[in-house]
Amino acid sequence: MTNELDCRGLECPAPVLHVRDALAKEASNDISVLVDNEAARQNVSRFLEHQSYQVQSDGEGELFRVVGRRGVGTQVTATASPPPVAEQSVAGSKKIMVLITGVYLGHGDDALGDMLMFNFIKTLKEMGPDLWRVVFVNSGVSFTSEGSEAVPFLQELAGNGVQIVACGACLAYFHILDKMQVGEVTNMLEIVTGMQQADSVVTI
Amino acid sequence: MITETIKLSQTVKGAGCAAKLAPGILDKALCGLDLPVDPNLLIGLEHADDAGVYRVSDDLALVQTVDFFPPMVDDPFSFGQIAAANALSDVYAMGGVPKTAMNIVAFPAKTMDISILRTIIEGGLSKMREAGVVLVGGHTVEDSELKYGLAVTGYIHPDRILTKKKLQNGDRLILTKPLGTGIIATAIKARLADQALTDMVTKAMATLNRDAALIMDDFTVHACTDITGFGFLGHLAEMVVDSGHGVRITASDVPMYPEALEWAAMGLIPAGAYNNRSFRGAFVDFAPDVPREVQDLLFDPQTSGGLLIAVAAGEAKLLVIALKAKGIDCAAIVGEVVAEPVDRIVVE
Repeated sequence: MTNELDCRGLECPAPVLHVRDALAKEASNDISVLVDNEAARQNVSRFLEHQSYQVQSDGEGELFRVVGRRGVGTQVTATASPPPVAEQSVAGSKKIMVLITGVYLGHGDDALGDMLMFNFIKTLKEMGPDLWRVVFVNSGVSFTSEGSEAVPFLQELAGNGVQIVACGACLAYFHILDKMQVGEVTNMLEIVTGMQQADSVVTI
Repeated sequence: MITETIKLSQTVKGAGCAAKLAPGILDKALCGLDLPVDPNLLIGLEHADDAGVYRVSDDLALVQTVDFFPPMVDDPFSFGQIAAANALSDVYAMGGVPKTAMNIVAFPAKTMDISILRTIIEGGLSKMREAGVVLVGGHTVEDSELKYGLAVTGYIHPDRILTKKKLQNGDRLILTKPLGTGIIATAIKARLADQALTDMVTKAMATLNRDAALIMDDFTVHACTDITGFGFLGHLAEMVVDSGHGVRITASDVPMYPEALEWAAMGLIPAGAYNNRSFRGAFVDFAPDVPREVQDLLFDPQTSGGLLIAVAAGEAKLLVIALKAKGIDCAAIVGEVVAEPVDRIVVE
């Protein structure tokens, strides 16, 4: 099955990283990537060639398609793939639970804390398969609800198999129980037992 | 509780000199402009050199330049140092001595703590001090993306201006810093660069071209430029085009970061490198055995890159020895000026 990726609207190095992450998740032999600029077309082509794909690309102006294919006949061994991808595609060896207890990251300046928290959520995926569950409590539950810019990033995490859960009592307290757009509702028992199951808990 | 420090390079689109407007586009804005004429303007816009030069008297001219860009590293102090070293470099490349500087700042005050700006300026000041330059003022605007740099003024003798032109047959070309900082900045943004490499490249970018400039002053140097956003071949093309000479580059002699070669093969190449190739690629002939990633590095936009010096053939080895003796370890002869093919660069 061809792995289709849409990397339009992304500037380098983001398209290459998207392709890398997609291949780390599922090492398909056929991949098709849409990009909207020449640098991304060339960079994605170079990356796929580096991963032993036969690469073709077409398009012009602001829409290009890069198609990579590697068949049974081509040599694809674990040692042939380059270290950066190989290291990151190792299955999660740890279970990390991230507990987000508010809307700001750190104390000092709330505008800065707001930006940092958004960046933190956006960057969580870099934990790779080690990231097991993200739990939102108190005002942190707002990230899972309508109007939060974090929603698409959490949806991406959920799509990668990360459990996204928010405290039901907290959602109710802030009257946003019906506005939840990503993840599942949880309770204190599940949060507490989750802390026991996890290899490490990061509290923010 | 985790204390997350802000990663400057993550907050901007383009990094360092890779953020430079594509060269072909800038030409469209500038060509055919009605420029004021003054006989004392020795180097102006129409010569497109590293810096402008204005004659004050028979033995004194002002050399002026401005450079600013978004951060390519995460640490504010280092960013300030690199931006300052990069801005000062144009004065050194002309053979001048920088004297005064003004800060140019665009700062996202709504999303960034003002202490970050203070640290950036402290970094810039540390380089100004090292260069013997005084800060005379500056200008700050609020912007969605952080940018920092300097407008620099220096002294130069009107008869001792080092332009990009005036290459002579047989001249050897010497490069004083390794290539690959644009690709490494992209890898830093992609969080693939480890701390040791980041530190090493940061130090190289923050290194003033002052020592190299002081040393070359004792040699018969015919032309000089500094390698920044247009990449090694882009800046070399500015030297070669309309010079009446050609240049032969030995790719294996050009100092490069090995990690940048690896990342180039992986496709972590800034858009600026492709722009540089499409703008200047037509002047370059690559031998078939020059690997693609080496070609990529030769077009890679550099932030605060080294000097590219055209020196009389007989003095080239001595100049390299003198540079190395001063700690400029990677200085190397990378090519020579030849009679044929005229106005072309051959990379072997």
